[in-house]
Amino acid sequence: MSGTVTIFFETPQGLREVGAKIGASVMETAVMNNVSGIEAECGGACICATCHVYTDKVPQELLQPMSSEEDDMLDMATAERRSTSRLSCQLRVTAELENTVFIIPESQF
Amino acid sequence: MSAPIVIIGASHGGVQLAASLRQLGCEDKIILYSAEDVLPYHRPPLSKAFLSGEKDLDQILLRGPAFYEDHGIDLRLSDPVTSIDLTTRRLAARSGVQNFSRLILATGSKARELKAPGSDLQNIFTLRSLGDVLRLKQAMLDARDIVIIGGGFIGLEFASTAAKLGKNVTVIEARERLLMRALPASVGDFLRDYHAGHNVQFHFNANFAEFEGADGKLHAIRLADGTRIKADMALVGIGGEADLALLAPLGLNMIAGGIEVDEFGRTSIEDVYALGDVAASANMLVNEPMRLESVQNAVDQAKAVAAHMLGQDAPAPVVPWFWTDQYDLKVQMAGLSRPGAVQTIRGDVEGNAFSVLETMDGRLVALFSINRAADHMAARRLIAEGAPLDMNLAADASVPLMKAVAKP
Repeated sequence: MSGTVTIFFETPQGLREVGAKIGASVMETAVMNNVSGIEAECGGACICATCHVYTDKVPQELLQPMSSEEDDMLDMATAERRSTSRLSCQLRVTAELENTVFIIPESQF
Repeated sequence: MSAPIVIIGASHGGVQLAASLRQLGCEDKIILYSAEDVLPYHRPPLSKAFLSGEKDLDQILLRGPAFYEDHGIDLRLSDPVTSIDLTTRRLAARSGVQNFSRLILATGSKARELKAPGSDLQNIFTLRSLGDVLRLKQAMLDARDIVIIGGGFIGLEFASTAAKLGKNVTVIEARERLLMRALPASVGDFLRDYHAGHNVQFHFNANFAEFEGADGKLHAIRLADGTRIKADMALVGIGGEADLALLAPLGLNMIAGGIEVDEFGRTSIEDVYALGDVAASANMLVNEPMRLESVQNAVDQAKAVAAHMLGQDAPAPVVPWFWTDQYDLKVQMAGLSRPGAVQTIRGDVEGNAFSVLETMDGRLVALFSINRAADHMAARRLIAEGAPLDMNLAADASVPLMKAVAKP
């Protein structure tokens, strides 16, 4: 883990710019930076579906492929599942994510 | 201005309570006491990703460093509470005396100790806190032969981490199979076989007798039947008990090994609440008080306490759920195993992806899944709804479990 990049979270309250450690997950980045709307109750074990984000504004080839487990969990997320839905605990921050925007749904419960 | 709300214990439950109080609009001063010297953290990764070094402390914090100040939560680290006086509504902590308007006990649980000959030797550990992991990690890395006393969740998670490092791991279990109270036999036996496939040895019906060593160093453990098992490190994982150290003089009603609370977390004394591992209450599935040692229970009780303290509607009751990760297995539990329930297997046991359903009168009461997250999530809904299942559909893993509800 070395270096940071800037990523953004678009929340119902507005846009948040944060420094993200390369190698951390997008969920961990949101929690560390006190971004509201990412609950992450299970701490990144991919079992609570409370770190749901929409990745409409992220080039999809920059994101790790979805496991079948994540796919299953997303079906049960509270906010509407869209084609760009991901669990942010399963997304690693890489240098290429500089200046990308993750959209946080209205509710995680 | 009224005295502050004081929460003792800053783990999953205490931190959630402080967060929920603010989220629901509480404007009182909130003080959160922690005996530990680090920001509150997720406990489940301690025996897994944190122990293995995959994640560092920054990655397992419950909330970011700025959270507490931003939300007006006075988090007091390294500040153990040493006594409480409910008559004057004051407590003493390392930092001094503090008054309170309402007190919430979220002190959690501690590892049960194994008092046996030789237990003062080096390299014998328990695993509950970050400090425990920091103490035992080097010993684990240096060890060749590791004995785990107790085949519970923490012991098995530790076994999987140590086995992956190539250690010789032996698990000593007093009963005839793993996790008899928490898991159906089929799931317990599956886990045993999976561990055995990773060269973990088991001794069942094994009564521990003593630790053996010389010059303060552990060399072996001995069972009551004389069996001697080489060990240069031992982990004791024989369960947890509510941390009641402070509470004996308070006169709270105790039950089932914990503080008796109702569905709002109220104890027998006004303005004193308890939640998480230290509290015992009935839940939506079992109408008798029990302690549930789980993240979910602590978090959901905290939400209920927050709502009650602020006079708001209680959140809907939540089906208890729990998980454990071992090797590449994701083991998830929804509901509570009950004697007399009918068990049905769904999925592919040989392929390491199956669920065991427990039903009573055709309704799901518990589901135990291995690598079938969708079944787990569906079960949480189906158990809460109490919908009758079409068992032919429910046993067919190609049909989504949500679609197995019987047509009226």
